[in-house]
Amino acid sequence: MMNKEILTQPEQSKRNFLKIILSGGIVALVGSILYPIFAFLKPPKQGEVEVSSVKVGKLKDIEKNSGTIVKFGTKPVLLVRTESGDLRAFSATCTHLDCTVQYRKDFGMIWCACHNGKYDLNGRNVSGPPPRPLNEYKVVVQGDNIFVSKNV
Amino acid sequence: MKSAWNKFYSWLDERVQLQNLIQFMGKKYVPVHSHSIWYYFGGVSLFLFIIQVMTGILLLLYYKSGEEFAFESIQYIMSKVNFGWLIRSIHSWTANLFILTAMIHMFSVFFEKAYRKPREMTWITGMLMFFLALGFGFSGYLLPWNELAFFATKVGTDIAGVIPFIGKPLMIFLRGSEEVNGATLSRFFGFHVAVLPGIFTVLLGIHLVLVQRQGMSEPLGLGANSKSGLKTMPFFPNFLLRDLLFWLVVLNLLAILAVFFPWELGKKADPFASAPAGIKPEWYFLFMFQTLKYIPAKLLVIDGEVFGVLLFSFAGLLWMLVPFWDKKSNRGEQNRFINYIGLFAVLYIIFFTILGWLL
Amino acid sequence: MKQVMLFLLSFLLPVLSNGVSYAGDKCLTCHKGLSDKPSSLYSHDIHSSKGISCAECHGGNQNSDDMEQAMSKEAGFIGVPKGDDISKVCSNCHANPDKMNELGSTLPTNQWQLLQTSVHGKSSLAGNEHIVQCITCHSVHNIVSVKNPASPVYPLNAVKTCTKCHADPAYMRAYNPSMPVDQLEKYKTSVHGMRNSKGDSKTAECASCHGGHDIRSANDVKSSVYAVNIPSTCSHCHSNSVYMKEYNIPIDQYEKFSKSVHGISLLQKRDVAAPACNDCHGNHGATPPGVESISKVCGTCHALNAELFSSSPHKKVFDEKKLPECETCHSNHEIIAATEKLLGATPEAVCSRCHNENQNPKGYVIAKAMRHLTDSLESSENNAGALVTDAEQKGMEISEAKFKLRDIHQARLQTRTMVHSFNAKKFNEAAMKGLSTASFVAGEAQHAIDEYYFRRWGLGIATLIISIVGVALYLTIRKIEIKQQNKNNGIKES
Repeated sequence: MMNKEILTQPEQSKRNFLKIILSGGIVALVGSILYPIFAFLKPPKQGEVEVSSVKVGKLKDIEKNSGTIVKFGTKPVLLVRTESGDLRAFSATCTHLDCTVQYRKDFGMIWCACHNGKYDLNGRNVSGPPPRPLNEYKVVVQGDNIFVSKNV
Repeated sequence: MKSAWNKFYSWLDERVQLQNLIQFMGKKYVPVHSHSIWYYFGGVSLFLFIIQVMTGILLLLYYKSGEEFAFESIQYIMSKVNFGWLIRSIHSWTANLFILTAMIHMFSVFFEKAYRKPREMTWITGMLMFFLALGFGFSGYLLPWNELAFFATKVGTDIAGVIPFIGKPLMIFLRGSEEVNGATLSRFFGFHVAVLPGIFTVLLGIHLVLVQRQGMSEPLGLGANSKSGLKTMPFFPNFLLRDLLFWLVVLNLLAILAVFFPWELGKKADPFASAPAGIKPEWYFLFMFQTLKYIPAKLLVIDGEVFGVLLFSFAGLLWMLVPFWDKKSNRGEQNRFINYIGLFAVLYIIFFTILGWLL
Repeated sequence: MKQVMLFLLSFLLPVLSNGVSYAGDKCLTCHKGLSDKPSSLYSHDIHSSKGISCAECHGGNQNSDDMEQAMSKEAGFIGVPKGDDISKVCSNCHANPDKMNELGSTLPTNQWQLLQTSVHGKSSLAGNEHIVQCITCHSVHNIVSVKNPASPVYPLNAVKTCTKCHADPAYMRAYNPSMPVDQLEKYKTSVHGMRNSKGDSKTAECASCHGGHDIRSANDVKSSVYAVNIPSTCSHCHSNSVYMKEYNIPIDQYEKFSKSVHGISLLQKRDVAAPACNDCHGNHGATPPGVESISKVCGTCHALNAELFSSSPHKKVFDEKKLPECETCHSNHEIIAATEKLLGATPEAVCSRCHNENQNPKGYVIAKAMRHLTDSLESSENNAGALVTDAEQKGMEISEAKFKLRDIHQARLQTRTMVHSFNAKKFNEAAMKGLSTASFVAGEAQHAIDEYYFRRWGLGIATLIISIVGVALYLTIRKIEIKQQNKNNGIKES
């Protein structure tokens, strides 16, 4: 700045050009760093991580004589609450052709919609095409929370 | 525009004497010589640490500790949060680059004997920070609660457990229980985001103040050749701008790594599953891990593993205390012995790391 | 096994008919005088024709006239063998190849061994004697060759011999209370049973399927009637062109079955839940199911399909035209895995056999529309799957979309079942569910793939910016340093 008067005209413009590039570049750089950061800060569509694999819900939310499908990693698990209030969990993948099974209140059984396969509440295949029983998962109740874990 | 900036500057200057600081930095000179390149590694380590702090704070907004949350929350960050993949990958990659640059920085200081009087405290704080960095790496590695991290932590804390007398209590202190489980995870999380950063910041402050007060160390013997001393360049703006240029290159490298090699998440840890084959610690622990494998199970009266752990602890302590026993360098004389030790350490680490990598 | 025995016996017969003198046997001389049952029966026994004396089984001295001496313990007299000793007496010769050779017999010598491994040889009461001894089936003192129609194990008599116990609930209860005792009743109604009772010794009786000495429980994997082994057991006769010649029925059932979806499951995948011959034809009451009952037979497993079919418009038409319900479209022994190809208006589709533009056009239109939907469901499943794989290979996190892929597949399987309602509305409902899931999954996967490219573009732009700033910074440093040098030089010069 002090030596402005001794600079020749082309040098002057070259210098200004460099300055513009540098400051413009810095602005763009700051922008390209801040953009991901602000985007990161913006709450995503699904506001919170879903608790999927182990903790499956609260005891009071699950009625007697009902069943729900819960995600266990990438596999579906059917959590059944029997009429007497027992909790049981089975792999929800039908052993016949990998459809997802469901609990049928009217039969009091686990039922596969694809080919009418039926399993009893111990997971045993009792009618229809399923060749094998459903794998059982362990259900643990701690306080009011229900946890499903692999049967070891 | 310009006048507004000047106004603000003088407003600030009146209150905090900015001019003093600039004058101080302007008067500070950095020696220019054939080994000058090593001066940049301290700065780039600082830069990487700043990135770690920033990305770490960002990750903290979505990360949830706890056995049933940790893995899912990282999965969530990687898939659902905008640029979550970028922030997490950068955090993981930077962690590794940070240890690497800190290592280079440490070895360059060692070989140049820059730790000699009057910079003993700078060296000690630097070494402490390096150990803390390893602690950052070890504790951070577990936080995604995946299979690899779970077993690496198990093995790592097991090794800590073999130290005589204090080993067992230390292991339980680290794990928060007898086994690696949810308690370990919460504990490591606490270490990683609160305990370690707190200590690290204090050490970093001391380290930086010392560097600024004492200036850059000149390598032994180089300055003696010319009467007027070494050629120098001003710290501000010349050296600082070069620093910035290097930082930019590193930043770009990080972005490339994060996009092309996003950090994997792996499988969720299952405490009941058997350990997968080929469990290895992070690369910076690999040479120690590999060495422990080669030590025979029983050495005279003590366990091989105990011997290995004690050996590494002792070597680390000696290494950290080098300014106090390297009298020759303190007197300003060449000490080839130190070079041989350093060379041995470098070759040893490289050889065993490669061995551990391949086997 | 039995055939081998018959074969061997055919060589033996001439030897047997020669007759051997046994006049020297004092046991028989005396006992004939007493005219007791064993001695009077024994002259017709095959063993008597071989010159085998009473003493060979009962011990004692057959050459002594003196009753005291002939039947003394010193002479080895054992009286009437009891329990397991009975079979041991038989096995003295029948399990000894040398002795059998000596007597000119080519009978196998492993019957005793086989019997011991059989279900009969393993069960006993109070640990004493096993249920079945040799004489339980072969009788005693009047034993004749199995080829002889008088033998209790001759094919026409075998059923009666086995059911002496197996049709007696009171007796069976002691050994296996859950075992049915109605095999005989069922057998009488079967094609095999009816022919057997008419004197056809070639049709299957108990031993044809269950074996003779080595009868095993149907749950035993080594049993000839274990589910996986049944098809080959049946095919033993039913695929034998020479044996089946006079019956004039096809012999390719086994060949067809082994290629069918059921055969592959049962024989290759060893899935015992898959049907073997007996699951459709019955076992003891084996007979081909009638036209009307086919859907009931298939429906025992394929319940939903059968239920849907029964309430569909096809039910009435099929009944009127006497078309077998499932078989008309799926065939019988050679049921291949049902695919979309069966549906629609193309010549290979089964619908087109009755429905075309001119004949029954309503069904033609619906079949065409259904096929169109299944095809688009299949292609959208493949498309979604490919997109998910692509996104996965690009390292994107899309476990949720991958999870939903299953639902598309499920919808596809459901539409296949829903075809049997032959109701366009029900079918569309199932298909639409699959299509909407497929479009969701494809959308998610496409989004992930777009994101992948977005990242690369973003990196490119960021790299460009960083490079520009870097270069500009470098130039600035140089500029500053030149300036500093100029200044220093200026100071030095001045």
